[in-house]
Amino acid sequence: MVGVTATLIHTRGLTTSAVALGKHNFRKFLAYGKRGTKIQKERMNKNPNLDPQVTREHDRGLRPVGLSDGKTFHIVPEMIPEIIVPDLAGFKLKPYVSYRVPDVVQSEFTPQDLFYAVYSEKIAQDFKNNKLDEDSNPIEPSEEELLTAEEAKNKVLSLGSDIYSNRR
Amino acid sequence: MTKQSSNLPESYIKRAMEQVSWQTPKAKQYRQVVVKRKKYRFTTHRPWTEQFQSQNPPGVQRAKVFVEPLLDWTFFKGDRVEVLAGLDKGKQGLVNYIVQERNWVMVEGLNCQYQFVGKKKNYPGMMMKMENPLSVTEHVALLDPSDNKPTQAEWRYTEEGERVRVSVRTGRIIPIPTLAEETPDYKSKASYAEQSKDTISDDLTQITFQPTLKTFEMDIAEKMDIKDDRVPVKTYWY
Repeated sequence: MVGVTATLIHTRGLTTSAVALGKHNFRKFLAYGKRGTKIQKERMNKNPNLDPQVTREHDRGLRPVGLSDGKTFHIVPEMIPEIIVPDLAGFKLKPYVSYRVPDVVQSEFTPQDLFYAVYSEKIAQDFKNNKLDEDSNPIEPSEEELLTAEEAKNKVLSLGSDIYSNRR
Repeated sequence: MTKQSSNLPESYIKRAMEQVSWQTPKAKQYRQVVVKRKKYRFTTHRPWTEQFQSQNPPGVQRAKVFVEPLLDWTFFKGDRVEVLAGLDKGKQGLVNYIVQERNWVMVEGLNCQYQFVGKKKNYPGMMMKMENPLSVTEHVALLDPSDNKPTQAEWRYTEEGERVRVSVRTGRIIPIPTLAEETPDYKSKASYAEQSKDTISDDLTQITFQPTLKTFEMDIAEKMDIKDDRVPVKTYWY
């Protein structure tokens, strides 16, 4: 009996340059989950915080309700949004405007206008009564004039505002 | 003028007319490109209606209609006008309907066509009399109020600075008719009946804003008696 051994020649492709260089264009296809093995994807699904950039892209802008220190997530009650709606009883402005209304043209209210509204009167009065010293600073400053930049910022941030945060 | 007379927002008309054939997906790797229809065949049907859509089906290219571009539009609804061509030549009437995109004007009862609608075996159908559009540049002329004869009209300024239509032949001012202000919502702005959800002018023109050195949140906190003195810990970027 003659024994015939069939041998299969195994071949494998090698790439000495970047992965998928010129062979497949996955740039213009909206395919998700192109990278990683099955095990890696399973790990990602279990703990999504492993790659913060990826989670940031797919989080749909949901704001966190707390902070995490590595593994555990602590819910911070101040971060839970509380919607405050004032009582609209007796509010005269309505959703639509009648056609019989004249054209109202209002210029923009700039920070300079706010300065004039808050400080200008006192400054003018002090000037008239000679209550400004050599550097034009008031001798008897009012509450608003005593306010420093840091104090003003702290007042705003004490209510938990996010005006100065990047997340906006 | 279609936008003015319809009282619809421009964005709605644009959205209703739009025929987008291809738009790239909203993703970072794509260059934002929108391929949409630019040439429409304007008709007596308004652009946001279904009939206009069926007359401009997507993918169908219709022969171009050449329209003389007019710098100033001098015709308004309710204008007294004389027809200069056609079967009703020499007759005067009131302007009923305007299609500015085609330089068209329809005069009430003049230059009509007759159509039989609903024809059956024994029934000849109902005859409908519809006005045909007239070209503003060739077939129609405004009337001079002094002698009720057709003239050309121009826009000029009075000594007070008001922009008015003036008859070129005599110099008489042709007043703008009151029907020009009409829309589907009202016959004239002054005669509009205010509904329960409309803000009236007294409430609208009242200034209740008082400038204070507070942010929006601080103002609300004061009014709702919310007090918080906790200042957040300072963070530093290096």
